[in-house]
Amino acid sequence: MVAGHPPPARGRLVRRLALLVGATVAVGFGSVLLLLGGGLVPATVQIPFRATLQILLHQLSLGRLFPQPCAGTAALPSQCASWTAIVWKLTLPEVLLAMIVGAGLGISGATLQGIFRNPLVDPYLLGIATGGSLGVAVVEVYGILPARAYLLDPAAAFVGGVATGLAVLLAARGRSTSVETLLLAGVAISYLLSGVLSLVLLYNPVRAEQLTSWLLGGLLSGYWPSDTVAFALVLVLGGLLGLYGRELNLLQLGPEVAQSAGVDARRVRVEVLLLASLLTAGVVAFTGVIGFVGLVSPHIVRRWLGTDYRLVVPASGVVGALFLVAANDAASLSFPHSVLPVGIFTALAGVPFFLVLLYRHRRRSFGGGP
Amino acid sequence: MRGERAATVALSCEAVSVAFNGRAALTEVDLEVPSGQLVALAGPNGSGKTTLLRSALGLVDGLRGRVSLLGEPLDSLSIRDRALRVAWVPQQESLNEDVPLNRYLLYGRYAHNGPFGREDAEDLAAVERILEQIGLADRGEESVLALSGGERQRAVLGRALAQGAPLLLLDEPTSHLDLGHQLDLLERVRSLVRAERVTVVAALHDLNLAARFADRIVVLFHGHKVADGPPEAVLSPELLARVWGVDAELRRDPASGLPYLFPRRLLAAPSPVAARFGPVHVVGGGGAASRYLRALADAGFELTVGALHLLDSDAETAEALSLPTAVELPFAPLGRAARQRHRELLGAARAIVVSPFAVGPTNLANLEDPLAFVGGRPTFLVREPPIAARDFAGGAASSLYARFLKEGAREVSGPEELVAELTRALGGSVRAPAPAATDPAGARDR
Repeated sequence: MVAGHPPPARGRLVRRLALLVGATVAVGFGSVLLLLGGGLVPATVQIPFRATLQILLHQLSLGRLFPQPCAGTAALPSQCASWTAIVWKLTLPEVLLAMIVGAGLGISGATLQGIFRNPLVDPYLLGIATGGSLGVAVVEVYGILPARAYLLDPAAAFVGGVATGLAVLLAARGRSTSVETLLLAGVAISYLLSGVLSLVLLYNPVRAEQLTSWLLGGLLSGYWPSDTVAFALVLVLGGLLGLYGRELNLLQLGPEVAQSAGVDARRVRVEVLLLASLLTAGVVAFTGVIGFVGLVSPHIVRRWLGTDYRLVVPASGVVGALFLVAANDAASLSFPHSVLPVGIFTALAGVPFFLVLLYRHRRRSFGGGP
Repeated sequence: MRGERAATVALSCEAVSVAFNGRAALTEVDLEVPSGQLVALAGPNGSGKTTLLRSALGLVDGLRGRVSLLGEPLDSLSIRDRALRVAWVPQQESLNEDVPLNRYLLYGRYAHNGPFGREDAEDLAAVERILEQIGLADRGEESVLALSGGERQRAVLGRALAQGAPLLLLDEPTSHLDLGHQLDLLERVRSLVRAERVTVVAALHDLNLAARFADRIVVLFHGHKVADGPPEAVLSPELLARVWGVDAELRRDPASGLPYLFPRRLLAAPSPVAARFGPVHVVGGGGAASRYLRALADAGFELTVGALHLLDSDAETAEALSLPTAVELPFAPLGRAARQRHRELLGAARAIVVSPFAVGPTNLANLEDPLAFVGGRPTFLVREPPIAARDFAGGAASSLYARFLKEGAREVSGPEELVAELTRALGGSVRAPAPAATDPAGARDR
C-alpha cells in the first residue's frame, strides 16, 4: 500500500480529461494526414498533406470551405476525385473505426474489471474471441450466404461471439457467479470451440486467410456503414454502461457491502456482463480480435484520473480510442508497405507498456480478488 | 396497535436457522431488539455472530425463520429499502481504492440518490455532519488510503452512518484497534444511540467492552442463543466457563459498578450441550447413579450430583468426572450441611434425574429434598428396578415416589431413553431466556 496522497482535485481532473479528449481528436485528425502523406500508406497513390487537409475540411464543411480541394497542389483535376475518395471513403472511416472500436473495448474492459474487482479481466472474458472466430470461419468456409456483403463477416462474428458469451454465462450460472467460475467456463468453452474451429480449418485449408486476419485483428478497414453501426453500438451500450459508475464504485468495497448500501450486486453483475459482452462482440466483429486495449486502458485511467468509476468508464473509452488509433498509425508507420494487423501491434506495443505499469505499481493494491 | 409495536422493534428474528453445506450455523435463534438499544452480540469464534448479522442484512441464502426490520419482513423489502433501514460495518471492508474521504462517505448515500445519481445538498450536508461525528472534520479531501487504522475504521462507520438507517449492525468493529481507539469508537457509537436513537447490534469479542457499552448482551454458542439480558445478569464466571471454557473471576469496577471479568486460565473445551442446557442434577447413592452419570456426561451434559456418602461408588464416579456434589460421612444420616448443599445444587439445576437408588432411613432425605424443586424443572425417575423393591424405609419411599409422579415427573427406562428425553425436554425450553437473565428488554432505559 502506498502512503496516501491527496487524490487529484476536481479542477485538475477536468483539465486532464479535456486534455485526453483533445489529444484523441487531434491524434485522430492527424492520423488521416499521417497515413496518406509521404507514402506511408501501402497504396500506389501519395497524397500531399495540404491536399488531404483541404479535402477533409472541404468534406467536413459540406463543401463550403475549399470549393476546389486540390487547389494549390500538383493534382490534376482527374486525380482530385480519386484523392477525395481515398481520403474520405477509405482513410477517414478507417481512423474513425479504430477510435470507435478502441472506445468500445476500453469501456467494456473498465466495467468488467470493475464488477470483478480484478485488474486482469479483459473484454474477452466470456470467450467472445473464439466464438466470433468460429462465426467468421463458418461464413467464410461454407459461404452460407451467396451475396458477399461487407457486413456479413461482422454479423457472423457478432452472432458467434454473443452466442458464446451467453453459453459461458449459462454454464457458469450459480448462486454467486465468481470470476473464477466464469473464467474457467470461458476457457473450457473456448477450447471446445477452438477444437471445432480447427476441425473446420483442417478440411478447408485454402480459405483461412480472412479468418487469420480476423483472429489477429487485421480487418481494420472502415466503411461509413460499418462505422455507423459500430458507432451506434458504442453510443448506446457504452452509454448504458456509463450509468453504472456509482454501483461499480460501491462494488469495489465488496459485493456484500455494496448490497448492504442498496446495490443489487447480482443484478448489476449480470447486466454489466451482458452489456459489456454485447459491446465487445459488436465492435470486434468489424475488426477482429484486438487485444490489450480493453485490458490496459482502464489501468491508465485509474493511474491518471483516479478510481471514481463514474469517470473511469467514459475515460477508458477515450483512452481506448486514443490507444487504438495510435497503434494503427504506428503499425502503418513501422511497416509502411505491408498491412500489419493492428491486433499484433497492440500486443507488441501494449505488453511492454503494461509491464512497466505493473512494475511501477507493484506495491499498489488494486483491490482483492472477486 | 400492531403498527405501534412494529415501530418500536428495530430488529426481530424469529426462529432463525441457517445451515452452510448441511452444517448448522444458527439454530432457532430468536432475537427482538427494541429501538434505541445497544446490543452486544458475544460468543466464541464460530458461534454464529457474523451469520446472525448477515441474516439481518438479507445476505444469507437458505435462511429459515423470519427476520423483520422495523416491523417489515425482510423478504418483502427491496435491496434499496433494506439499505434505508439497516446499515452494516463488516468485519473487513476492502477500503483500498484511492478516493477522497468525503467521496467515500457519499458512497453510503447510494440508496438516497436519484436515478442518475446526482448528489443533492442533503447528501453533502449529511457527509459534513458525519465527518464531524467521526472526528475527521478537516480530513474530507484526503485520500482514505492516508488514514490510520483507527481513522479508517471510523471512516467505515461513517460510510455506514451516511446511509441514514435507523439500525446499525457492527461486526467486530474494534478488533484491529488499540485500546484508545476501541474506546473512542464505542463512545461514538454509544453517543449515536443516545443522541439519535440509532439502534445498534454489535458483535464484540471483548466482554468487558460489551459490559461497559451495551444495554444488553446476547450470547451465542454453536449457533444457539444461550444467554440474553443486561450485562450484570448475563456475565458470570459460570457463563464464561461453559461457553468460552475459561475460568474467570467476576469483579465489579468500584467507580462505575460495572461488572468486569478477569480471565485466569483455560478449562476443558466447553460442551455445546452443557452450554445450551445448563446443569442437570442427578440424585444418587450406592452406585445406582453411576451408569446414568456416565451416559449424561458422554452426551455432553453439565452435571451435579447429590447427596452422596463418602466412599460410595457413586461418589467415586462423581470424583472421576469432577462433578460438583453434596457429601455426608459414610453410614451417617444425611445431615444439615449436606442437605443444604444438596438443595443449592438442586436450585441451580435446569433438570433433575432421580436414579434408582435403594432408599433407607439414612438417605430418605434424598427423595424429600428434590421434591420441592420439581415444579418448573423437567424431572425424570428411573422405572427399574421398581421402587417397591428398593424401599427399605417402610413404605415412605414408595409414597414419596408417587408424589414425584403427581408433581409431573416422568419415568424413563435406561440411560439412552433418559438422554433422549432430557434433550427433548430442555431443547424445547432452551428458546426461553436462561433463568439468570429473564429480562432482555429491561435495560432499555439505562
